[in-house]
Amino acid sequence: MRRLVGLIGSVIVATLVVAQGAVDAQTVPRNRTLIIAQNFDPQSLWPNGTTASTNLNPAAAIVEPLFWIDPRTNKLEPVLAASFTMQSPTAYRVDLRRDVKFSNGEAMNADALVHTLKVFVDAALTPAYTIYSAPFDRVEKVGDFSVVIHTKTPYPAMALVLTQIYVIPPAYWARVGPAQYAQQPIGTGPYRLVEWVKDDRVVMDRNPAYWGAAPRGIERIIWKPVPDDTARAVGLETGEYDVAASLSAGAVPRLQSQRNLQLISVDSYRVFNMILSMLPKHQGPLLDKRVRIAINHAINSEAIVKNLFFGKAQLLQGQLLRKQQLGFDPEIKAYPYDPNRARALLREAGYPNGFDIDFKIPSGRYAQDREVCEAIAGMLAAVGIRAKIVALEGGEFLRQLRTQELGPLSFVGLAPPDDPHFQMSQYRSDWRYTFIQNAQLDALIDAGVKETDVAKRGAIYRQASRLLNAEAPVAPLFLGVDFYGMSSRVKGLLPTGDQRLFLYGVSLE
Amino acid sequence: MLNYLVRRLLVTVPVLLGISFFSFALLYLSGDPTDFLLPVNVPEATREAFRVAQGFDQPLLVQFVNFLGRALTGDFGTSLRFQQSAGSLVWERLGATGELALAAMVFAVVVGIPAGAVAAYRFGGFADRAVRAVSLLGQAIPNFYLGVMAVIVFAVWLRVLPSGGRGTLEQLLLPALTLGFGLVALIARVTRSCMLDALKQDYIRTARAKGLTEGLVVWKHALRNAFIPVLTVIGLQFGLLLNGVFVTEIVFSWPGVGRLAIQSIYSRDFPVVQTIVFLSAVTFVFLNLLVDLLYAVLDPRISYR
Repeated sequence: MRRLVGLIGSVIVATLVVAQGAVDAQTVPRNRTLIIAQNFDPQSLWPNGTTASTNLNPAAAIVEPLFWIDPRTNKLEPVLAASFTMQSPTAYRVDLRRDVKFSNGEAMNADALVHTLKVFVDAALTPAYTIYSAPFDRVEKVGDFSVVIHTKTPYPAMALVLTQIYVIPPAYWARVGPAQYAQQPIGTGPYRLVEWVKDDRVVMDRNPAYWGAAPRGIERIIWKPVPDDTARAVGLETGEYDVAASLSAGAVPRLQSQRNLQLISVDSYRVFNMILSMLPKHQGPLLDKRVRIAINHAINSEAIVKNLFFGKAQLLQGQLLRKQQLGFDPEIKAYPYDPNRARALLREAGYPNGFDIDFKIPSGRYAQDREVCEAIAGMLAAVGIRAKIVALEGGEFLRQLRTQELGPLSFVGLAPPDDPHFQMSQYRSDWRYTFIQNAQLDALIDAGVKETDVAKRGAIYRQASRLLNAEAPVAPLFLGVDFYGMSSRVKGLLPTGDQRLFLYGVSLE
Repeated sequence: MLNYLVRRLLVTVPVLLGISFFSFALLYLSGDPTDFLLPVNVPEATREAFRVAQGFDQPLLVQFVNFLGRALTGDFGTSLRFQQSAGSLVWERLGATGELALAAMVFAVVVGIPAGAVAAYRFGGFADRAVRAVSLLGQAIPNFYLGVMAVIVFAVWLRVLPSGGRGTLEQLLLPALTLGFGLVALIARVTRSCMLDALKQDYIRTARAKGLTEGLVVWKHALRNAFIPVLTVIGLQFGLLLNGVFVTEIVFSWPGVGRLAIQSIYSRDFPVVQTIVFLSAVTFVFLNLLVDLLYAVLDPRISYR
């Protein structure tokens, strides 16, 4: 017995020692530290290593891009680039700032950019960015601070691509290689990495030699991975975090009532829609256009947004493009919610008693996906379409999407890069997860990707949207909405629709 | 004793092999890792090249044998998500999980055994009824609910403890109590019933007849003899604590192995999941062995040949 008591005693002592040992010495006062809770720890701090926003957000405070798009104005703003000009539809000149150094002293110049671009187009190193770099042909240094990017075809989305290129220091990169760079990045940004305790915190301190205007009042930023939705909301409420990303809609009413907090809802780039496949391999009632249109009429998106997203999600207007995007057509309207019209169309198509169909849905992949789909199934049942829900776990759902197994009836939320081409090209006949095959649409998609005249390009996408609306291989429903909570001390932080938190113009009071 | 040890160790080999293969196969059947590592719209050629580079194109059995071969030399492969050695990723988090599990266990033992002993000694009285009621609650309330409730009460309403994270003793308190609560209940119940048995034995009557103080009778004679089943429970539950760790670490943002496991499963990060499953299985098997060996230490009547 005595031995046992001794054993327990020593275990207690050991536990206390371990716990105390982990205490971090804090040198920066709390009121000049910005603590941001995201749902995951970054996997890499090299921005071009992955496309996940939880990696890019902390990484971009250290390694900077050529340009960024200010979500307040939706305009392209220079960061490391001073300007960019289209010399010809296949040659794009980038002029860099001349006063910038990496935090290890290396110069940020044309050589650094050429090296960065060489890495950027290497599919083995940056597989996630191949859709951006596919049209790149070669890179030419034309001055100490100027580079021309030559493309194989005209590339109107180049401006967007330039926001995705993060400049890395060539000598340091050569010395440490991609794997270690991702762990210990060096960049030109307003902050430098101090410590990264995996799954616990990423700590970065102000870069004293930063070339630009660093965020005011923020000496240190700590990024905390907090996977539990409730824990992020609670930590924000108790003041442990200053910013909490990706809050669940359930937390909205409670946080809205707190005086020292701000709740921000951001329209996400994620487009939620129904797949109504018209591919011959998906035999069944949906091959009849009248049935697809009937489904459009049967779904009450407004009620879904009102009841499941507190009215904060934006409804789509019968097309996949958002109001802010090039090619949005104000003349296209969503099929109005009209169950009687839906029933009539089904009768016309030869289904007076409706029909049975499998409805493949993601479970736990998107916010409230199951609830949304159950509501939709209920609405379909009201017009006689008995949709049997087949819930798929996130991984299996993605696999079935890529192999077109989700057809004929499913619900997806896709978030392609923010250019109409990336949205539309998902419906090209040869695309892996298209649910339409239409030569006319293909021709429009191919014309749009090469058209450098903005007005003409917009007209092409409007035509494509009208075609998609008439054929109805999809039922556009609503845009995703992301909820962020912030302490009222945080000023100027506006997240983007792809969940990016840029620090330009941010301050802490 | 040595003979016994060798025999027990040999038995663990097929157990570990079975567990490893089962988890490997399950994980692989449930999705393609490239779905999580690459955006959905990368060209199929890039995806295929990536698959070949990572070795996903090889038959399942080949991948499994490769994994095992390397695991034997301590190399568990490279995490697909972190591009870092899976072994070191798990190792970095092992301290946090060990700390939490130990703290929970200490709490459970320090509270559970005396509570059970007192309940047995005051059989039918108020203390007994109170311990039984709390035990029932402890075993009935699931971990995730208890954790969230604890956060709401202590972090949001009372503002006396932080809601999550690791580093200070205050941060350890809530997760350790949450994780340990169910175990307190179990240990208290087992201690109580074993003590009730022990208190009825002849040697207790003898001890009392000898004129020993009541304290000595209860703590030394009764409790020590009641201890063997309790120890079995503690040993086995330590393994099960690792289950609770999965939920508790998520709720309290505790940077441990459980959280890493959940995230790795979601992203089909095979090497990391394999490492964790393998190491958990090893831990479980060896804890059982340790408990069996401890019997001999605690009870001189038990010896192994």
